[in-house]
Amino acid sequence: MARVKHFQCTECGMCCYGQLPLTCKDAFANASRFPLCFVWTPLRQGSKDYPLVATLGTTIKLTGRKELAVLITPTAYIPSSFPCPALGDDNLCSIHSNKPSRCKTMPFYPYREERYQAELLTPRQSWACDTSTAAPLVFQDNAIVFRNDFDNERQELLEQVPILRRYADYMLKYSASLVNNLIHASSKVKAGHVITSLSSFLTASKNADAKHIAQLQLPLLKDYMAKTAGDVKLAEFHRNYLNWSKEMAYLSQAQS
Amino acid sequence: MTLCPCGSTRAFDECCGPIIAGAPASTAEALMRSRYTAFANRTLDHVERTHAPEVRDDFNRAEAERLAEECEWKSLEIRRATETGDTAEIEFVVQFRREQHTITQAATSCFRRDNGQWLYISNTLNPQITQHVTKVGRNDPCPCNSGKKAKKCCGTTTELK
Repeated sequence: MARVKHFQCTECGMCCYGQLPLTCKDAFANASRFPLCFVWTPLRQGSKDYPLVATLGTTIKLTGRKELAVLITPTAYIPSSFPCPALGDDNLCSIHSNKPSRCKTMPFYPYREERYQAELLTPRQSWACDTSTAAPLVFQDNAIVFRNDFDNERQELLEQVPILRRYADYMLKYSASLVNNLIHASSKVKAGHVITSLSSFLTASKNADAKHIAQLQLPLLKDYMAKTAGDVKLAEFHRNYLNWSKEMAYLSQAQS
Repeated sequence: MTLCPCGSTRAFDECCGPIIAGAPASTAEALMRSRYTAFANRTLDHVERTHAPEVRDDFNRAEAERLAEECEWKSLEIRRATETGDTAEIEFVVQFRREQHTITQAATSCFRRDNGQWLYISNTLNPQITQHVTKVGRNDPCPCNSGKKAKKCCGTTTELK
């Protein structure tokens, strides 16, 4: 059977909720819009996505000739029940012409090999994507038909590998619990994650713009802190916003 | 007189105070103690200043400021301090309270003396220090030193203190 897939966005806005993985470029371009963190997703050997994740992220040697591949993504840290702050009252993207490459490429996902992209075209339960044959043909013979956005995002991911590897080396050197947390996350049936702070990335990458970025992040973190207060299900989000707001408060006043 | 938070039982002004104010630490242990005290007193300029140059840029000051504020620093215990010429290794245990939990952390820090100034280089957590055997297995040597297996001697229900 020829793997032919049709897809048309119906602008239902349902994929504009929750955490959004970003390229480094998009993350810092939107530092005034999204509360930022870094999400580490470990993958065990044998997974079909392993080679690409090892290329785009990093690999960590474990005991007994085992290793983990880890994807490290700058991420808009937003609870899954919360809409993207750029989603307008009309349920359309308010920054459409200038939106992050992750949003432009949807529903494709260049963190996985192109030949596996067909699996990503099945809408999630609440999504209203049109995948009938009336929708445009978007995937054929294991290849994406309209591929500009996919290629651009993949290119950005490849270009940022060195800076993310330096960050990984830094975190593995200084965070005693990180490897164990990654091993623990990788042992879960559903992919687990480990979250690290923006302050650690700014330190590791010796970001000269740290103070300015912190000044942009601080009001956002305080806003999300208020929005998540008192909700038991969002306690972890709330605690992270609180912790990071303290760090950003320090950085935004630090003498450079 | 204010007792020094480092646990030396000396006055702060005669212990870590002058070192935090900028006087050189006479020993690596004195520097170690003053860095702990700086965390307890939230005077982290001292901590940053006494990082060796090659690790100073790696110091996440914003995170350290948050931890210094969040934790209630209970105690520092120096287990072993070994100075060999211009290098030193210090084994220690810190105890602090954070989010209603008391945490005991054992670690070993390395130091180096550059132009008469002791500097901090690295830290290794070694949790094996905090592990204690509390139960004797059936086939383990009996704790009464009889040389027999525990199951053939005092039995295996003995709990060690």
